[in-house]
Amino acid sequence: MSHKEQMFRDIGIVDFVLVDLILYLDTHPFDVDAMEYFNHYSKIKNQMMAEFAQKYFPLTGDLAESSKEWSWGMAPLPWEGVC
Amino acid sequence: MQDYRFDEHFDNYPIAMAYIPWQHFEQIFDNLEEAYEIGTIFPELNKPFTGRRCVE
Amino acid sequence: MWSYEKRLQFPVNIKRTDAKSAQAIISQLGGPDGEMAASMRYLHQRFSMPYKEVAGLLTDIGTEELAHLEMVGAIIYQLTKDLSMDEIEKSGFDKYYVDHTIGIWPQAAGGIPFNACQFQVKGDVITDLYEDMAAEQKARSTYDNILRLVKDPDVCAPIKFLRAREIVHFQRFGEALRITQDNLNSKNFYAFNPSFDRCND
Repeated sequence: MSHKEQMFRDIGIVDFVLVDLILYLDTHPFDVDAMEYFNHYSKIKNQMMAEFAQKYFPLTGDLAESSKEWSWGMAPLPWEGVC
Repeated sequence: MQDYRFDEHFDNYPIAMAYIPWQHFEQIFDNLEEAYEIGTIFPELNKPFTGRRCVE
Repeated sequence: MWSYEKRLQFPVNIKRTDAKSAQAIISQLGGPDGEMAASMRYLHQRFSMPYKEVAGLLTDIGTEELAHLEMVGAIIYQLTKDLSMDEIEKSGFDKYYVDHTIGIWPQAAGGIPFNACQFQVKGDVITDLYEDMAAEQKARSTYDNILRLVKDPDVCAPIKFLRAREIVHFQRFGEALRITQDNLNSKNFYAFNPSFDRCND
């Protein structure tokens, strides 16, 4: 796997951890251990999203940094498969 | 047919209502790649499908 | 409101076309137990929920179901995009193709188009949560049925993921029901509708 593909997959994994924790915390709003895990992975995800956008292409519109070409529009379509 | 099994805990709850036991999170999977392929970070929520028809 | 991440929640990389699998899997797109029904059900039920935790959960699960809807669309798109006319004719896919070519249109496997009759918003928290728990089990059963039918590991991987999510969602809705019970009088949970009745006789 290229660095881009590995990073793309890692973002998918970290975001997935956050999603599962979000749903757990929605019904367990006072579980401090879960919140600690969440805070930890949330920081990691934000860092990875910013780094990926800067190196390759933005995964959310607000992370688009464009000078000559609209990077958000040029980002690959998710349903085409393979990063 | 078997006679129903009385559970000390749940069968003392008010009837005409359903109760799902609370999940108490202890650990998440160590291997997050594996958790991703499985579809949950919680080992106790991993309930894979293994059924097969087995009729010719 | 919604934010969008330009990636699938779980990867879909299917190398082999298969019109037969696509015809079965389309039920999870536009069918009564599918992802569109799930997302529309939860995102609409949340408005009349009397408890913030329950409304919040419905918002978050409803949002995840939109991501699943996208995945199912991607699965069907990849299973059909390179179909030859011969494969279209031989597989029975010709009936869908004639109306949609290889476009993605939400319908059940039997042909009934997606519609709001596929979900209910009763406006009663207990009733709606039971509907949601049933919906997650129906989806899980449908994925079980798909897993018996489909052999391609590229298809099985995202389907197994989607199936696992249904079980997690079921647990969460069950917990939301426990939260609801804690907010009501256990001597009679059905005495009034907390979303509607302002006084209790």
